[in-house]
Amino acid sequence: MKCLIVSLGILFICHLVHSYEGTITEELLIKPLYSEQVYTHFQFSTKWDIDPDKETFRHSPLFPRPLGEIVQRFDIQELHVTLTSGLWRYEKWGYPVKDAATGVEVLAWFKPGSDVDKNWKLLANSLSGLLCASLNFIDNTNTIKPEFSFRPRGILESNLLNNSYVRYANLPHEIVCTENLTPWKKLLPCDSRTGLASLLNSGHIHNTRYHSIGLHLRPVCRDKSCESMSLELQQTVSLVYDYLILGTKNWSLRKLFGQGINRKCVLVSKSDVYVDTTNQDIELEPPPDETVTSVRGGQVTTLQKYIVSNQFLNIYAKFQNADLVSLNLPPPLHANQYLSGYGQERGGIVTKIYNNHWKQIDVVLMQNIPWFIPIYLHTLKVTADGRDIKPIQLRYIPARQRERPTYLEVLLTVPARTATSVVIDFDYVFLKWQEYPPDANFGFHIGSAVISSYLPVARNYTAVPWDGSLISDSFNASRSGYLVEVRTENLIITLPTPDFSMPYNVICLACTVVALAFGPLHNITTRKLILKSKRKVLLIERIKKFLFSLKKTKTE
Amino acid sequence: MSLKKLRIYNNLISTPRIIITCLSAIIVRYYLMMSKYQSVIANHVEVSTPLNSWKRVSEGLYLLSLNINPYEGDLLHETPLSLYLYKNILQVFQGKIHLAFITLDVTTAVVLYFTTKKFTEDLFVEEEENKATYAKDAEECFLKPDKLFKSSYYVLLTYLFNPYILFSCVGYSTTVFYNLYLSVMLFSMVHGIPVLCGVFLAIAASVSFYPVVLVLPITMYFKYAIKSHTKIIVNLTSFVVTSLLIFVLCSNFGTDFSYIRSVYGCILTIPDLQPNVGLFWYFFTEMFEHFRELFIYAFQINTTILYLIPVSLKFRKHPFLLTVAVNFIITIFKSYPSVGDVGFVLSLMPSFSHLFPFSQQGFLVGTMLVISTSLAPILYYLWIYCNSANANFYFGVTLSFAVAQIFLLTDLLFSQVKRDYMLKYGKDRKIDGEEGILCLE
Amino acid sequence: MHLLNVYFFLFSISVVQSFSNKNHTNNWAVLVDTSRFWFNYRHVANVLSIYRSVKRLGIPDSQIILMIADDMACNPRNPRPGTVFNNADQHINVYGDDVEVDYRGYEVTVENFVRLLTGRLPPGTPRSKQLLSDEGSNVLIYLTGHGGDGFLKFQDSEEITSQEMADALEQMWQKQRYNEIFFMIDTCQAASMYERFYSPNILAVGSSLVGEDSLSHHVDSSIGVYIIDRYTYYALEFLEKVNPQSDKSMGEFLKVCPKSVCISTVGVRKDLFNRNPDNVPITDFFGSIRPVEVLCDLSNVTLLQSKQLSQEEAFKPKKYRYIDPIVNFNTIKS
Repeated sequence: MKCLIVSLGILFICHLVHSYEGTITEELLIKPLYSEQVYTHFQFSTKWDIDPDKETFRHSPLFPRPLGEIVQRFDIQELHVTLTSGLWRYEKWGYPVKDAATGVEVLAWFKPGSDVDKNWKLLANSLSGLLCASLNFIDNTNTIKPEFSFRPRGILESNLLNNSYVRYANLPHEIVCTENLTPWKKLLPCDSRTGLASLLNSGHIHNTRYHSIGLHLRPVCRDKSCESMSLELQQTVSLVYDYLILGTKNWSLRKLFGQGINRKCVLVSKSDVYVDTTNQDIELEPPPDETVTSVRGGQVTTLQKYIVSNQFLNIYAKFQNADLVSLNLPPPLHANQYLSGYGQERGGIVTKIYNNHWKQIDVVLMQNIPWFIPIYLHTLKVTADGRDIKPIQLRYIPARQRERPTYLEVLLTVPARTATSVVIDFDYVFLKWQEYPPDANFGFHIGSAVISSYLPVARNYTAVPWDGSLISDSFNASRSGYLVEVRTENLIITLPTPDFSMPYNVICLACTVVALAFGPLHNITTRKLILKSKRKVLLIERIKKFLFSLKKTKTE
Repeated sequence: MSLKKLRIYNNLISTPRIIITCLSAIIVRYYLMMSKYQSVIANHVEVSTPLNSWKRVSEGLYLLSLNINPYEGDLLHETPLSLYLYKNILQVFQGKIHLAFITLDVTTAVVLYFTTKKFTEDLFVEEEENKATYAKDAEECFLKPDKLFKSSYYVLLTYLFNPYILFSCVGYSTTVFYNLYLSVMLFSMVHGIPVLCGVFLAIAASVSFYPVVLVLPITMYFKYAIKSHTKIIVNLTSFVVTSLLIFVLCSNFGTDFSYIRSVYGCILTIPDLQPNVGLFWYFFTEMFEHFRELFIYAFQINTTILYLIPVSLKFRKHPFLLTVAVNFIITIFKSYPSVGDVGFVLSLMPSFSHLFPFSQQGFLVGTMLVISTSLAPILYYLWIYCNSANANFYFGVTLSFAVAQIFLLTDLLFSQVKRDYMLKYGKDRKIDGEEGILCLE
Repeated sequence: MHLLNVYFFLFSISVVQSFSNKNHTNNWAVLVDTSRFWFNYRHVANVLSIYRSVKRLGIPDSQIILMIADDMACNPRNPRPGTVFNNADQHINVYGDDVEVDYRGYEVTVENFVRLLTGRLPPGTPRSKQLLSDEGSNVLIYLTGHGGDGFLKFQDSEEITSQEMADALEQMWQKQRYNEIFFMIDTCQAASMYERFYSPNILAVGSSLVGEDSLSHHVDSSIGVYIIDRYTYYALEFLEKVNPQSDKSMGEFLKVCPKSVCISTVGVRKDLFNRNPDNVPITDFFGSIRPVEVLCDLSNVTLLQSKQLSQEEAFKPKKYRYIDPIVNFNTIKS
């Protein structure tokens, strides 16, 4: 009897796997950066050939069901969540495959006609449960609706966009640790025991200069004709290891991740490892299965490809000339952000955009500034080389206390080979004492600015084109422009604090002052001025009288 | 006979003297505005509150020029009409905003001068008429014309060179406008021009809400000083009509009410807790959330109607003092006071010079004002910039500043009560041959 | 779309009541660290020690609510990122490789804690942040942080009083949210927190009596702060020896950390608990052991698929396309 059940169960599972229309791929890109770091990017893609509009997600064989429920329940068209710790250093490291700001970023496009505000709040709550992060702090007070940047990455039927269906929020203070990676790994089709996912061990992930985990969900074309949709989920992990922390420049999979790849995940149709050896004198062990040369936007990249099989794989890279330092060419566009001013009364936010290209570049600068930092738009000043630059377009929704943040999008043309600075002044706000967090003197975070642009060249560029899905799609993918969304540093400001131990005293003192007015005014207005005998009964006399009366009662 | 006397004293202060005073005031203001101290003064929280800071007005005007509703955000708390006025003033003065502020401030001073002049004349005439009813030995406290008729000049002088007013003007705070509205209101009240009085009361009330309560003292003035019932009605009608007109214009003919939340919402519910010289900011910073509403009601009632009726009844015979006293109460307890408001009330004090002999706390009040005014910027700097003091220090200063003003107010009112007593019963203070004292019973 | 007739085989699972005194059906754990800041590393190590034990003894993550007020594992001051140890010799990484923290950072507030216990959570709260216990649940509540006589501080900015704690538990009882509670607290003057309890079926233990301080165990010089508190250190030492099949009793657990090693006196309150702790297996609170028997009666359920849209009907050729991910500048400029 039991045998029958087991065999039927197996049949059932096989049927499910068979009926699954779609592909699962996993890829790993390893790219030595400049001379001090090595960048690794994991990308697990699940493409499911269903129409997301019609699918109920009751039956999702390999697609993670919790996500499916979220997509269906909250009418989501596109969802991008990244949890990042550390800062991506554009000027040294070039561009990552996926840009992400320090902390948590959530971007969602909802289907037209849905109750977006309600769904957004519920989505944040669900994600907070799903990823064990405090995403439930996302609400109207830190959400904006960008108009020029962050347009849908997936396919659309019409090109009419309405930014009332997009929501973007970032929580710059959010920390990222094992508790976020654990639930993220549980969404993978093969769990974390086989395939590339077996490399993701928490101890080795958090020992990095930069780590970012992400979930990217979007509708994509099912085929070339693009007449029907598929749902694509990309799970990404980006890590930047420092040679100083590793102790050596010669890395290996085991050194980076604690172990090699044991087995291939059976559900995966493609499982590749690419090692970028452009301009690097690296000797790889074992020798790669294939060498790929990619020419993209004038940039030639050499990649060594390994196909993961059921054999143990530990790639070992040995630098032929370990003392050789390659020249760092900064990427065409990068940016940073800092605070100006001193004291806790008035300050300014300065965003510097560096254009290293020989031609001017159009950029969109987007800022999501919390409500407790009210900015003065009339102080917005864009200068480059001492010249004022007039923004092409400006979108501004001022903040409202305890209701919504400041949303600012500026379209600029950044002149060639200069640093353009965008300065805006703000005031420090005094909050109610119960609104300060427990560590009030640590300060409040301002999320990073996002600078989006199409670059004319693909120097230091690794991202996958938006019409592709896999890292291999980025090979030889020359386009007219290369999208970058540069994130700047987060800022911390310390708002002036009241004395947290004083509420009772303050209430008493202020009320005393009111009473000081009330008493005399009450007397003057309700009483009459009369002449009274000056003779006062002295205190001693009174006491004598009192004692005397006591004595009297005693004797009685 | 009294009119004859008046004429003699009328020329006590010569016109050139007034002009020279005004000119020197203009020079001082212009010098400060052109110096580097302008921005320092403008940035002080004692001078610029969320309600009157020029930086916020500039922001509002800039947003307007970009076709963004300035009331979408939290920064602007001026009415649309004020904003329209500033825009036009900027155009008229071609961006030379300092000239506009100097002009308005000096105008206010001159208006106050004529207000006090009329008031002292009225006071003198009234006393001359009622002299028969006063006690025999009360001559000592009769008005001294040579002193009395100088007081209008002292008002001008204190207004123009009062550091509070000076800073307020140099810091481009819109309190300068508010003070002008109030001074024109007082001027037309004293001169018995009910329409103008009602109009400017409505304007002042639309800007800062609290002056609404001045309706009662003004009515008292028209009843007891002008003694004309028609003027009361005209005054009230013009107040109501102007208020309605302002509302209609501000709300863009009833289509856009967003300014109400920004202007009156801000004044009444105190969402912005930036420190100022008042009592509200720290109190509502440290307030427990579930008591906030209760205390907002309590404090606003305290500011507006708590003292209004008793004070109005008690001092109905002295309606000018009553108007100033009610305005003083508002200044002490309003949600976002600035030194410009305090300076306005203080500069009216010389018009009550006949009460000074009866006041008891002049020295105390003066010392407290001087000390708290000089300590406030120091302690604020230590708190915000050096991080070596904290909010309690500044709160202490604002408390003592408020206490000083309260003492001054109560002292002034009590002096009036004592003077009335003196006039009625004489200076004799003997009960059954023994020395007695005056007290309130 | 695929047409499928899905057959579900329902395995009837019945819970066998093997012991007469065993009347709970499920186990929950609420583990709370209320202290923020790096120098309170030991409190995080405390709570993670208990987390590790209950997870090892069989309570699934979905039934453990873990609240940690600060991040120690990935704190920049931690020389070994992603780890929290209970001992300077780094024997046990109590943080582990698959930890799930449900409330963290600023979310650890008195309000959230009381709401969690009483189940009065705002709509939209995910399941992992809810205590979905019922009248058959044995709940382990573990608190650690800085306390005083009659209160426990949360993040140095607010506190829960013993009366509020007692009232929250009474509300749980009235709402039938537990069968039995084992309340465990490791703070200074810990006993004061359970003195006000008045609801039935609560067994409480605290690391120190009123007037006593709870002390920390030892310093790890490489991280520069105290690494764990004495009481929890010895409790973990005891729990490490327990396995899901062990027959150790609660009575033995209550004797953990005698005054000679703890320095403070471990306080116990048994009067609300109507069983003898010596007869209660420790897995009643720290584990989730239920004897399960699989019956082989098969029932066949056919799930009818709703009428499927035929491929041709549903398929209307549409033209989808990608759009520019940021606005096209040429359209704006013109």
